[in-house]
Amino acid sequence: MKRKSFILVLYFGCFLTLTGCWSQKELTDLAIISAMGIDLTENGEYASTLQIINPSNVAGGLQGGGAGQGPPVSIYTATGSSIIEMNQRASKKLPRRRYYAHTNLLVIGEELARKEGITGILDAIERHQEFRMTAVIIIAHGVKASDLLKVLTPVDKIPAKKIIKNLRFTEEQWGEVFTLNLQDVKKDMTAVGKSPVISGFSIEGDPVQGSKMENVQTSDPETTLSATGLAIFKEGKLVDWIDGKTARGTVLILDKIKNTGISFDWKDKKDVGTFQVIRMNSKNIATMKKGKPKITVEVKAEGYLSEIRTAVNLTDPKILIEMEDTIEKTIKEEILLAVEEGKKVKSDIFGFGQVFHQNHPKEWQKLKADWHDVHFPELTVDVNVEVYIRRTGLRNNPSVLKE
Amino acid sequence: MPSFFKRRQITKQKMKQKKEEQTKQKIGDYGTTPLPSSLKEKIDFIKSETGNSFDVIIRKADLDEKLGIETAVVYIDGISNTQIINDFLIHSIIKNRELHRKQPNKDIFEIVREEVVALGDVKVLPNWKEVFQMLMAGETVVLIDGETRALGASTRGGEQRSIEEPGSQVTVRGPRDGFTESIGTNIALIRRRIQNPNLWVEVMKVGRVTKTDVSIMYINGIAKEEIVAEVRERLNRIEIDSILESGYIEELIEDESYTTFPTLYYTERPDMVAGNLLEGRVAILVNGTPFVLIAPTVFIQFFQSVEDYYGRAFLATSLRFLRVLIFFISIIAPASYIAGTTFHQEMIPTQLLIAIAAQRETVPFPAFIEALIMEVSFEILREAGVRMPRAVGSAISIVGALVIGEAAVQAGIVSPAMVIIVAITAIANFATPSFAVAISARIIRFLFMIAAATFGFYGIILGLVVLAIHLTSLRSFGVPYVTPLAPMIPKDLGDTVFRLPLWSLKTRPALISSEQSQTRVGGDQHPKPDSSKKMVPNKQKGEQE
Repeated sequence: MKRKSFILVLYFGCFLTLTGCWSQKELTDLAIISAMGIDLTENGEYASTLQIINPSNVAGGLQGGGAGQGPPVSIYTATGSSIIEMNQRASKKLPRRRYYAHTNLLVIGEELARKEGITGILDAIERHQEFRMTAVIIIAHGVKASDLLKVLTPVDKIPAKKIIKNLRFTEEQWGEVFTLNLQDVKKDMTAVGKSPVISGFSIEGDPVQGSKMENVQTSDPETTLSATGLAIFKEGKLVDWIDGKTARGTVLILDKIKNTGISFDWKDKKDVGTFQVIRMNSKNIATMKKGKPKITVEVKAEGYLSEIRTAVNLTDPKILIEMEDTIEKTIKEEILLAVEEGKKVKSDIFGFGQVFHQNHPKEWQKLKADWHDVHFPELTVDVNVEVYIRRTGLRNNPSVLKE
Repeated sequence: MPSFFKRRQITKQKMKQKKEEQTKQKIGDYGTTPLPSSLKEKIDFIKSETGNSFDVIIRKADLDEKLGIETAVVYIDGISNTQIINDFLIHSIIKNRELHRKQPNKDIFEIVREEVVALGDVKVLPNWKEVFQMLMAGETVVLIDGETRALGASTRGGEQRSIEEPGSQVTVRGPRDGFTESIGTNIALIRRRIQNPNLWVEVMKVGRVTKTDVSIMYINGIAKEEIVAEVRERLNRIEIDSILESGYIEELIEDESYTTFPTLYYTERPDMVAGNLLEGRVAILVNGTPFVLIAPTVFIQFFQSVEDYYGRAFLATSLRFLRVLIFFISIIAPASYIAGTTFHQEMIPTQLLIAIAAQRETVPFPAFIEALIMEVSFEILREAGVRMPRAVGSAISIVGALVIGEAAVQAGIVSPAMVIIVAITAIANFATPSFAVAISARIIRFLFMIAAATFGFYGIILGLVVLAIHLTSLRSFGVPYVTPLAPMIPKDLGDTVFRLPLWSLKTRPALISSEQSQTRVGGDQHPKPDSSKKMVPNKQKGEQE
């Protein structure tokens, strides 16, 4: 009995001393950081921007009507020669303990991404025990990250949340940008045959005006944030921006399109039809032909016609088949546009190299060394698109127009 | 000098002995002091012993005026049936005067016993101890001049509460009768359900002063003999002045005192006792309380309700799962709130965290203190609600709702989230089917809150580990408290958190019932009435025919 209780006490002694990471921190002592931005200053130092949530200005419905009185977030900035140093320096201005566990957005300034790259910055963030690797990363397009984080947004009061949701729903419904978290970026950066592409965000309007409460008190905010294009990286540094169809073509090859509308021409009339994709997937197939690498991009798309602004007999199956061919061509063009752009900047953002690595490991050993610079730009890319028009929406033939 | 102390010690001891003797006399422990033969002496002794209490009725009646043989009928008004005493004792004695003259060979005492007293249960009482025992239990004592024995006739009665629906364990479906304060009624209620000669009842008197009737009930052959013997032995061991409720017995015979968990089940429902007897358990009935103890008890019983067996198996199973959930909620809900908001903010979804943070912004206390304030004030409210006279009850609830629900939140002393947590915990606590375990959970909850405030979820998990160790260390009359989960008895698992259909519960609980009689349902009892399908022939067949 004595021995048993001794062992029990021993066990609990161990339990209490081996608690791992724990520390009591009251909720009211935490500065919940919703987003962190990192810029490069003129004298080569880092500048960090912390977007801190003011809970009582976000959650409404409490007595006293605290909601809407002040800004939902506050911005604190600090500069320093390393990420951790400057963040710790920010606590000089902060009345509370910085808390990164709910930081779901990391914004990198364009200048920093171009000049220094993102590899070094991510190390400090990866090591931090509070920072989540599932945080979304974006590049401030043409502006400073600090300006981007200052803009107040309507509807979703927390700007970081607005950006994340914005990306998510654009990806789901349109597809020129997509959500990428730190983990994905890290994977892309360590892979040899793939370079990361990161979505960009830019400010429309005056950044100073955007940081004021008036910005969210009108129905037509002067300053807004919008997703604009994809940043192509090469060896960790930003080299180019792509936008529009090129961007969508890229997302398409990466198989991240869920829903999108593809406009197509019909009988010399430009963009008179829209094909609404409801299911789309793409696959890259690598083959070696006489020692030369070749990629076949196979795309399958299903959907319905959501808009036809010309007279056409949609009840005729032959016409629908013809239409499918037209759409196939349109999609193929978009993909080739993206591939050309990638080749131009010599960065394999599509992960073609990875496919070779997986399917032709022996040949890959030879290609590996200068894949991005030599082999990728010379790569033959075939595109096979199969389009199925499943429905024509709730109508058969367009009503007002006659042939 | 030493001798002086010694003497003093001796006198002290003597004094003590004397005192003890006196108290023994006082509390009515007469041993086997015989009765005097003179009727007057007997009556005087009874009068002096009962302090001339006015409810002690002594009715003298002559048996033979010429020979001067007198009798006296002694009973206590209120606890005996006066009608029976009048009709079958006093009236009978008066009617049968001088009966002994016809039978000169026979002893007068024998004649009275056999022919005069017209009642079923008649006993010969040889000494004062038994006389007073009978008298105080509501029986009638017949004293005869010149005899050193007395007669005791069974005339118990008096005002009693009638059988009502039990207040503490209400069911929708099931019998509506509940135990009363009378042990005789209670035994009858059980016997009416189990009409079997093997339902055995043993009676004993416990309590030096109160001399309370306590009886053990079990089904011979189904109950384990070792357990019955153990119950008997533990009851015999009790030496206390009074037993006013079965709780006294519970505290004196339980296996482990230092635990918040009850190791004996108590119930007000005869059908529940009957069900438990049939599982091989032993019931302990105490006179003067409607609560009957059941031994041995296992932990899982507190999550079961009699209604589980009356309703459909699926519903019973899901309700039992719900009750386990309820138990955990009532233990760790406030603790989880404390742990979540002070240690593990990263585990709370951002949006929820912001909502909680906004509420806590104005609260001047740490989460633990806030939770403690709310829990304690709720406990105060509940206690007030239980103890207050019924007329004031509604006032309490209004004040409680306004003060705790509204004013505290508006004043910014307490966050609305905390109010929700406390409310859920309270409702979960009320929903626990067994009051005994609900009380236990109330106390443990505070320990968990302290654990959560010092170590967060880690502390809660540690607490749960300690709780599990504690539960497994408990025993009830030798039966491990958490059987059939630990030790695992696979064939008993059908009636734990699950309640399988009755036809598949083939055996009684292994550790509780006797090994000789484990079978409970015959083989192949699964109802598959093929005949019912033929009753309505399908159309095609009908046409062919």
